[in-house]
This record gives sequence, C-alpha cells and structure tokens, in this order.
Amino acid sequence: MQNLAIRTEGLTKRYRSVAALDHLDLEVAPGEVIGYLGPNGAGKTTTIKLLLGLIGASSGRAEIFGADCQRRPEQTHRRLAFVPGEANLWPSLTGAETLHLLGRVHGSVDAAYRDELIARFDLDPAKKVRAYSKGNRQKVILIAALMTRAPLLILDEPTSGLDPLMEEAFRLSVREAGDRGQTVFLSSHILSEVEALCDRVGILRAGKLVEMGSLAQLRHLSSLTVQATFDGVVPDLSRVPGVSSVAVDGRVVRCHVRGPVAPLLTALAGANVTELLSREPSLEELFLAQYGEHGDQTPTAHQAGKAEIADKAETQVARHDAG
Amino acid sequence: MTQADLAADIPAAAAPGTVRSASGVIARLTARKAVRSGVVWGYIFGALIASSAVSYTRIYKTQAARDALATAYGANKATSALFGPAPQLQTVAGFTAFKIGMTLMLLGAVWGLLTSTRLLRGEEDGGRWDLLLAGRTSRRRAAAQALAGLGAGLGVLWALTAIFAVGVGLDSSVKIGAGPAFYFALAMAATAAMFLAVGALASQLAPTRRQAASYSAAFLGVSYAVRMIADAGLGLHGLIWASPLGWVEELRPFSGPQPLALLPIAALTAALAVATVGLAGVRDVGAGILPDRARGAPRLRLLSGPAGLAIRLVRSTVLGWWTAIALSALLFGLIARSAGQTISGSSATDVLAKLGATGTGADAVLGVCFLVLAVLIAFAGAGQVTAARAEEASGRLDHLLAGPVARSRWLGGRLLIALGVVLAGGVLAGVFAWLGAASQDSGTGLRTLLDAGLNLVPPAIVIGGIGVLAFGSWPRRANVVVYAALAWSLLADIVGGFSGSGPASRLLLDSSVFHQMTAAPGAPPDWAANAVMAAVGIGCAVAGLIAFSRRDLKGD
Repeated sequence: MQNLAIRTEGLTKRYRSVAALDHLDLEVAPGEVIGYLGPNGAGKTTTIKLLLGLIGASSGRAEIFGADCQRRPEQTHRRLAFVPGEANLWPSLTGAETLHLLGRVHGSVDAAYRDELIARFDLDPAKKVRAYSKGNRQKVILIAALMTRAPLLILDEPTSGLDPLMEEAFRLSVREAGDRGQTVFLSSHILSEVEALCDRVGILRAGKLVEMGSLAQLRHLSSLTVQATFDGVVPDLSRVPGVSSVAVDGRVVRCHVRGPVAPLLTALAGANVTELLSREPSLEELFLAQYGEHGDQTPTAHQAGKAEIADKAETQVARHDAG
Repeated sequence: MTQADLAADIPAAAAPGTVRSASGVIARLTARKAVRSGVVWGYIFGALIASSAVSYTRIYKTQAARDALATAYGANKATSALFGPAPQLQTVAGFTAFKIGMTLMLLGAVWGLLTSTRLLRGEEDGGRWDLLLAGRTSRRRAAAQALAGLGAGLGVLWALTAIFAVGVGLDSSVKIGAGPAFYFALAMAATAAMFLAVGALASQLAPTRRQAASYSAAFLGVSYAVRMIADAGLGLHGLIWASPLGWVEELRPFSGPQPLALLPIAALTAALAVATVGLAGVRDVGAGILPDRARGAPRLRLLSGPAGLAIRLVRSTVLGWWTAIALSALLFGLIARSAGQTISGSSATDVLAKLGATGTGADAVLGVCFLVLAVLIAFAGAGQVTAARAEEASGRLDHLLAGPVARSRWLGGRLLIALGVVLAGGVLAGVFAWLGAASQDSGTGLRTLLDAGLNLVPPAIVIGGIGVLAFGSWPRRANVVVYAALAWSLLADIVGGFSGSGPASRLLLDSSVFHQMTAAPGAPPDWAANAVMAAVGIGCAVAGLIAFSRRDLKGD
C-alpha cells in the first residue's frame, strides 16, 4: 500500500495546561490538495510546525510519506517544501541569492520552472531582500518552495501580502502542482482561496479539528439560504420544520433551511410567490456556522452568532444580485 | 517648508493643545526606552565608582602605600596609554578617576552609540517610525524629539552616577566633595552625550542599524587610538585635542579640573545634533543619506549550505573584531618596551601583579594589556552565539530546518565557525603584538607572543560555551546570559585584583574566567589550566547542542 502523504494520530501540543493542538487525526492521500482553515490562534501553524518537527509533540504521532516527522525530520524534509506565513529572510541577500541558497539546501531545483515562476510572479531577483516589499518577500519564499517540485507542499497562509494579480498567479501554480500529482497542504483563513483550490477542507477551532470533508460533504452541515418575495399576504414560515432565522422585510422573507427542503416548499406553494432565490452556503458561511456554534456558550450569544450569519448571507445575496 | 511641515502646522493653528500632545509622542516613546537603559547603566556606573573608591581605601590604608602606588603608576606609559594618565594616585579621588575613568568613558560611549542607533535607526528599520510619522509631525521634528528623548536617558544616567559619586564621597575614609563628585559624573556622562549624537548622525547616514552602529564604533575606535598615541609618552601629547575621548580626559576630574574642555564636547554634540535634525528632513524615511546597495549581481560562492550562509552573514562583523584585535595588539606591542622601561622597584611590580602580571619589563606590560585582547576575543565569540540566536528568533532558521538540514549540523557548523573566529583572534593578537614589539626591538620572540595570543582563547571558549548552553536550554535569555558571563568575568577580574587578598576577593577572582588565564607573556601560559577551560567550554557547548536538538524552536 502506498504511504499517505500526511498521517497524524492523536497529535497534541500543550503549552503548560493549554492545548494548542488537541488530538489531531488527519489523513491526506498523495495528490490531494487539502485546505486547512481556522481563525487566528486555532492551531494551524502549530500543526505545521509539528509536521516539520520544528516543535516537539506532547503526545501522538505524525508521519509524512510514512516517515516519522518528529524522529526523522531530515528524511521527511527531503520530500517537502515549506512556505511560512511570515516572510522573514536574510536582509543582506538578494532575491537570486536567497533562491540559490534555499535551492541548494533543499537539494533539487527545476531551474526552468524557477525562471518561469520568477517571470510569472514578476519578481526582480537582483534586489536585496531588505529593499523588497512584504509581498515581494512572500513571492521569494513561494518561488523557493514551488521550484523544488517537492512531492508535498506545506503552505502556511502563503498569500498574505500578495496583490490580486499575484494571488491569481499563486492559484495557477497550486493547480499546476495538483495536476502534477503533488500533495498540497494549504493553511489559510482566506476562504475563497481554499474554496477555489482544495479537494477537501479541514476546519480547526481552538486546537480541535471540528470538520473534515469535501466541500460537498461540508455543505450538508449548514443550511440553505432561501429568499422569497410574495405578492400579497406573507405567510408565517417560522413554524415550518427545519427553517430558522426568518427575517421579514416588507414582502421579502429570508430564512435558512437545514435538512430536507420539502416542508418549506409545501408552505410556499400555498402562497403567491413572485420570486424565489436559493443558494448554497459559501465556505465563509460554513466557517462562520462552525465558529458561532462552537465559540458561544450563552443562548443570547448563540442567537447573536446566528444573526451575524444571516447578515453575512444577506450581503452575499446582495452581491450576487448586483453581479 | 516641506509638505509634511505644512501638514503639521495647519492643525497646529486650529487646535494647539492636541497637537502638542500628539507631537510629544516620539519624545516620550524614545525617552521611555532611553531612560530605562539609563537607569540600568546609571546604577552600574555608580556601583563601579563606589566599589573602586572604597576598595582603594581598604587596600592602600597608609599614605606610604599610596605614595608608592603613585610613583609606580604615575609615569607608567603602558597604563597611561590604556587607561589614561594617572596624576593623583595618592588620593582616593585621583585613584578612582584613573582606575574607573577610562572604563566608564568607553562604556558610556558604547551605551550612547548603541542606544541612539537602536532607538533611531532600529525603530525606523522595524517600520515603527512610519506609524509615528503618519501622525501630526514632520521628519525633522520627529528627529528633534527623538534626540530630546535620548537626552532624558542621558540625564538619568548622569544623575544616578552623580548620586552614587556624591554618596560614596560622604564616606569618612573617601571624603570627596559634592562639587568635584558632580563634575566627575559630568565627565563620565560627557562621552555618552557625544556618542549618543554620533549614533544619531550615523543613523541618518547609514541605511541599516547595523551599519549605523558600525560607523559609530569605527569613530570610537579611532578616537581611542588617537588618545592612546597621545598618552603613550611618545611626545605627541598635543594629539589629545584631536580625540573626543581626549577632551573628556582633559576635563581632569579630581586633578586640576579644566572645565574649558567642555566647550569642544558641547560643540561637537550640538553640531552632530543639528546635522542629525537637518539630514532627517532631506532623506526618505527608511533610507540613509549614503547610498544603499540595494541591487547587486548575485555572489553565490558561499551560499551552498548553512555553514556557507553563516560565514557570509557574520563575515563583516568578524572582520571588524579581527581588525580591532590586530590594531590593539599592534599598539600594545609598540608601547610595550618604553612602558616597561619605566617600571623599576618592587612597588611597581606589586601593582602590576595586582593586575595579574608576574614578569618584569615589556612582557609584564604586555601581560596586562593582553587582558584587553582577551576581552575583545571573548566579545567576538559571544557575538557568534547571539548571531545564532538571532537566526532562530527571526524565524529565518525555519527555512533551513524545514529543508533536509539536521539541527546538530546547523549549530555544529556555526560552533566550528565560532571556534575559528576566536582561534584566529588569538593568532592575530600574538602576531600583531610581535610586529609592534619587534619594530621597537623589545626582544620578545614570535613564539612567546603567539603562545600568549593563544592563551587568550580558552576564556572565550568558556564564555561562548556557557552562551551555547543557554541557547540550547533557555533560548530567549541566551544573549543576556552570554554577555552577563563576559561582563561578570571582566568586572570580577578587575575589582577582585584590587580588593586585597581576603577570601571574598579570592572567590570573586576565581569566578572570573579571565583570572584563570595567566598574564602571558608576563607569565608562562598554563596549558593544563587552559585545556581544562577549553574542555569545560566545549562540554557546555555540546550539552547546549544536544538540548537545542531536542527543544522547540522559539521565536522572539
């Protein structure tokens, strides 16, 4: 059997009594592009540092292509390339010198692809790192990782500081990597990026992996957003099974439906509906649903969280309408 | 008037009160940091003055002993070149000024240049000035405010030094008047003032903090060398007026004060401050006046792995240390013979013995001078530890360790480089001391001086080893630990040497690695003790390396 690209079992990192990462079980098959989502401080970077062996696990284990991340880091590092979130590089080296160094340290470089990437990302490699903007530094480490054609790319919020044009170049490069059969582990809090690139998504919250699945699977977890406009009397939808967050604005009603939509359709069929919009939730809404449900304890805060999701949904609808 | 000035002035007309508080922010921020370090160093200055004065009264109890000391040291050209002239050694005040004056002058200068380059160029490098300059101020005004903030730090340093000096002067055995004590504290703060201003100007000229600090340090080095030549008894005493450190010396606290020497000190400080404010207005934020070589053809020769990278990164700093070591050794060699000839009689030998030298003549003088070289070499070694820590703290090390580079290989490579740095420092010390001595026909052989040079290396290995152990087990405190070990060893050696022969001062001396080293070439190197020191240092380093391989990487 082929080894998994990444496999963790009960991987845990504690700082004193706080668990920065709590029993993470993760399996990533070779060739998968996987998104790793979570708010700041959820444990994304901790996971990556454990995978790289830069910090030690409190308990549990992690493997990359079958090799133990903690015990044999050099062996695992031969098969991966890493992009940290903070582009800290040696200020006195130029971009070209940095790429040369990191290529030599890694051991293998596709020189033609490197030059293609330099052109694609529009990087001036003759400049010293000191003189680069944050975005340009980010480009250097992105190119350094991509040019190795490593079987596994571990990217920790790699697009911070990139402008939209470069973001597009980044997405192209990740798709190329995926097409070549490289595994990509993309940690991010930019949801559209993960939505556009990833086969599967894991959602991390306060050190715990709260969801893991394909986008299609995760969508079932959240409600459908429905907006109906009535010509005449507005029916009371709040008692329909599965419906929540009903908001009435004149003759327009917005609500969320969880589970089967048949009861709602039955209710609507009796009224005079002039317009009906329904939409799958964006990853952002999925994410906020997770965030709200697990982050809030009191019932009122719970409601507030729901209301916020409704607001977000509305802006989404508005944007879709405008487009 | 620049646009920024206008921007600052328009709201000033509208709401003067708010503007004043807004534009005082930079002064307050700078002052807060400068005062904090001024307090620390003020205590250190004060403690050094007090301990020096008190130890004198304990050791040299009789007038006869004091006269003997004055005869021995008064005309000693070696100590005069190193520490300045010693005109009034028969008094507590004169001894204190001589014993601690040059050390405080140099400490004050280093404090000044490091503080101002850190708070001016360093803050700008870190991008924090952008935030402040986006507020209601101009670049000129910001620079002027930062200088005011530094002034506050200087004031605290001077005040604490003065309080300690006056306080110890009240002691019945010391008896220094409040006026002279204040004046002495003023003299000690004067170098700090000048070098705060030097650092401030360098911060305008240089595009990075490191370069600004290097320029300032080079200016300090030249000032010291010029003063040294002037005091070496070569008939060039007029040169004293060519060195800012010479001006401070000419203030002559406790021995015929010359307050007129304050004029050039004040003039230089003011001129540098004015130039700083002027230049701050004509340059871009984040850039220096001097061109920054921001582009360049790639130089790839060294960049084939972690060790090559380390060499590339530390190259310029190490060359600076080696130059300082070689030039100092050359000067010591040059003055050794004439200085040694002035030593005659048992009391002189006795004084040198307190500093660790047991031989006579030129070799004894060199034996004392080599302590300075040992300190320089130890600093060069300690710098390698802090450079390794900086790689980890900044997160740059992640790039290497996320590649197939073992931690032990990375740190081991850096330790070998550090060992090379201190060994080469020892060789340079020996060779250049020999070059200087040979040119004066001092009669000390190359072999003897090479041995004396290598004799300086083991203390540096111990201090570096302690630093590596701290790096491995207590990374965020590694820098503090390594410099504390160095400073403690130096202070314990100097203070302990003059504090009599009781068990307390024995203990003090034994805690100093510099005391474990013999004063070669004044005495033969103790290779067995050196081997023990090297073994202890290397043992600590290996323990640190193992600890580092097992711990989490830690950022700032």
